[in-house]
Amino acid sequence: MSSTAMKKKVLLMGKSGSGKTSMRSIIFANYIARDTRRLGATIDVEHSHVRFLGNLVLNLWDCGGQDTFMENYFTSQRDNIFRNVEVLIYVFDVESRELEKDMHYYQSCLEAILQNSPDAKVFCLVHKMDLVQEDQRDLIFKEREEDLRRLSRPLACTCFRTSIWDETLYKAWSSIVYQLIPNVQQLETNLRNFAQIIEADEVLLFERATFLVISHYQCKEQRDAHRFEKISNIIKQFKLSCSKLAASFQSMEVRNSNFAAFIDVFTSNTYVMVIMSDPSIPSAATLINIRNARKHFEKLERVDGPKHSLHMRMR
Amino acid sequence: MEDDSRPLLSSEQTGEDYLQRDSTNSLDFRTKRPFHVERKNIINDGPQETVSAEAAVLNSRLHYYSRLMGSSDRQLSPPDHVIPQPDEIYIYSPLGTAFKVPGSDHTSKNPSIITIFAIWNTMMGTSILSMPWGIKQAGFTLGVFIVIFIGLLMLYCCYIVLKSPKSIPCVDTSDWEFPDVCQYYFGKVGQWSSLMFSMVSLVGAMVVYWVLMSNFLFNTGQFIYNHVHNINVSDSELETNGSEKVICPYPNTNPGGNNTISTLYLSDNGNMSDVNPFERYWSKTNTVPFYLIILLLPLLCLRSASFFARFTFLGTISVVYLIVLVTVKAVRLGFHLEFHWFDKTEFYVPEFRLLFPQLTGVLTLAFFIHNCIITLMKNNKDQENNVRDLSVAYLLVGLTYLYVGVLIFAAFPSPPLFKDCIQPNFLDNFPSSDIMVFVARTFLLFQMITVYPLLGYLVRVQMMGQLFGNHYPSFLHVLILNILIVGAGVLMATFYPNIGSIIRFSGAICGLALVFVFPALVHMITLRRQGMLRWTSAISHSLLILLGVANLVAQFFM
Repeated sequence: MSSTAMKKKVLLMGKSGSGKTSMRSIIFANYIARDTRRLGATIDVEHSHVRFLGNLVLNLWDCGGQDTFMENYFTSQRDNIFRNVEVLIYVFDVESRELEKDMHYYQSCLEAILQNSPDAKVFCLVHKMDLVQEDQRDLIFKEREEDLRRLSRPLACTCFRTSIWDETLYKAWSSIVYQLIPNVQQLETNLRNFAQIIEADEVLLFERATFLVISHYQCKEQRDAHRFEKISNIIKQFKLSCSKLAASFQSMEVRNSNFAAFIDVFTSNTYVMVIMSDPSIPSAATLINIRNARKHFEKLERVDGPKHSLHMRMR
Repeated sequence: MEDDSRPLLSSEQTGEDYLQRDSTNSLDFRTKRPFHVERKNIINDGPQETVSAEAAVLNSRLHYYSRLMGSSDRQLSPPDHVIPQPDEIYIYSPLGTAFKVPGSDHTSKNPSIITIFAIWNTMMGTSILSMPWGIKQAGFTLGVFIVIFIGLLMLYCCYIVLKSPKSIPCVDTSDWEFPDVCQYYFGKVGQWSSLMFSMVSLVGAMVVYWVLMSNFLFNTGQFIYNHVHNINVSDSELETNGSEKVICPYPNTNPGGNNTISTLYLSDNGNMSDVNPFERYWSKTNTVPFYLIILLLPLLCLRSASFFARFTFLGTISVVYLIVLVTVKAVRLGFHLEFHWFDKTEFYVPEFRLLFPQLTGVLTLAFFIHNCIITLMKNNKDQENNVRDLSVAYLLVGLTYLYVGVLIFAAFPSPPLFKDCIQPNFLDNFPSSDIMVFVARTFLLFQMITVYPLLGYLVRVQMMGQLFGNHYPSFLHVLILNILIVGAGVLMATFYPNIGSIIRFSGAICGLALVFVFPALVHMITLRRQGMLRWTSAISHSLLILLGVANLVAQFFM
């Protein structure tokens, strides 16, 4: 039973120039609009029109514009903006020289959240960490994390340090998505069973819009620790190419004499990637297995809200 | 099998992508950084990875991010601190081998003082000997002004030469010299003409060296002979009395003066019947230039000249000694200056003379370093100080030239002698029995004998490299080239040993191209391509080109 209630929001907020648009573009594989280096703050919210985790819509807001018009607009529209929020992701620029001001805006956002969507999850990203010297990164991040935790009470916030130039951005968003998936532990157990049944080397579960790895199973040690991000980038590039032809990406099979890899739609929120190192197993067999498993996993994810969990009957 | 293991996304695809985009934005080379990571074979446990995991995943990110941007956006271009260090970057050949990018930081970086000294050392040449003559030709006041003016002008031209490789977009110009810049802007014409004019300066220097070497060798031999045989022969009719002898070797008919001096002068090839057999076999113009061939031609044919590079310190010592010599002579002779502004007198020259282009020609070669300044400045530790260091070096060179020129001119004893007697090589104004000057001549002789093969090597490398592609095509080629160069030197030494003229002509010719025309043109083209060419700039640089042409033309008429 699908819900037709108002779509829940993921708010991506932060000061102008903190890197939100680049981040959104990279995670969601959107083309960056040409006028992203704006001189003024965002006047209107930017919708990404992406279905994220099934029923979430990403909204992007600039916080803390100097313009009094901007301030008033923000204040008057506050309830509208902060209602029905599932997730608040607040981006801090680690190089910002106005720490007091940043914290002040962050707090006012938190107040609005408390009033309008008290159940929302709060994540803080300390961004552009590549601009900090390597030996100081841990220290600075710990300081910020403490400050943010203190300021966020009574809400609990999870902090990540990120940079688009290393793996931290991907990992942070993967963690965020992981916490937002309903029944994620159940998913993982079932994924492991599924992998063992079909004798796969590795099975990955991706979130559909962002190709962030939600969960994975591997039967032996793999050499490349960065393979998730690489696969994600490759598929997103392919999706971009497909969209240029007004086609949409659905599935892919890559095969050579050493392995066969299958990427296919799985549930309404996820994609699956199955890697078989036994080339003698025909593709058709694996595809049938995936199709059958799909039905089971669908039941784990009901579209009518993440709060409900279902049991899956194991055959 | 090969096709199976091709990666999902190869670099060729991103190459095509670049072509489809707007290619006019080529100014930001960060979007096209030469950073590529080879695919790894993920199945076999093959040979060790030569690429770090971080580099591989960063490469994957770069490919992806580049697809997200418009072509003119540099928002997702990798900043400098994200790219791996040069010593972690590998170049892959299609055959599978990989080698490291040679780090450009391996060359030692010199502090400013060393760079300044290197420039001073390289610029200080034989033109220092012609400075007093040049000032005499232009007139004292005008000469000093011209030295300052030409020095500043050539400093500016050197500055625009130094700047020129940096404004070339999207090409790695880190090991380019100015002829490469000319080739970039003017094609084959630029390459060949800059090479030819560079050759003019080098061959001109070699001819001057031959003349001077013959001169110094002759005087040294003369001194030793006179000393051994205890002969006290005066070199010329016209000389000063007293302990500090200054001579006028060729007292010509002095225009405007009461000429009581006999016009007969001792020529080395005199018609006198009692010519010494020594003088017949040891003649400055007839025999000594040929004796040098025996010594120097074999040295020129050596394959490598690195041995002679060790002796560059001799040049510094010679210049320092010359400065000391000049100071001592000036102190002993005292100053003899009278300012006659436009009229000619018997003993003095006017302050402003029409022969001043001769000085500008000499100065064009004296301040010439434009064909190697980029290389010299490359090893400067603080590149931001390049302009400052260059200016300081030019200041020091100018001061040195001025010092020698002014002191000799001022100290030249004018009442008995004429200022017009100052020779293009001012050491010729001192008799061969003068000990200090003898030492100077010996120093310079040794220094030139060691620098001459180096110059010959430079000429050979550039000519053979351009013509045949090989620095040493065969012994015969090199021998023919060397015979031509040596022959030119011997001819000049025999028939026209006036180094002042050789210097001013070669200076004006090579200065025309490498100092005035090409740098000004390159500068104007660069500005125009950047859209920043203003009328004042265009006019002043065109004036610069005209000055260069006028400099050359005036050499023939004045």
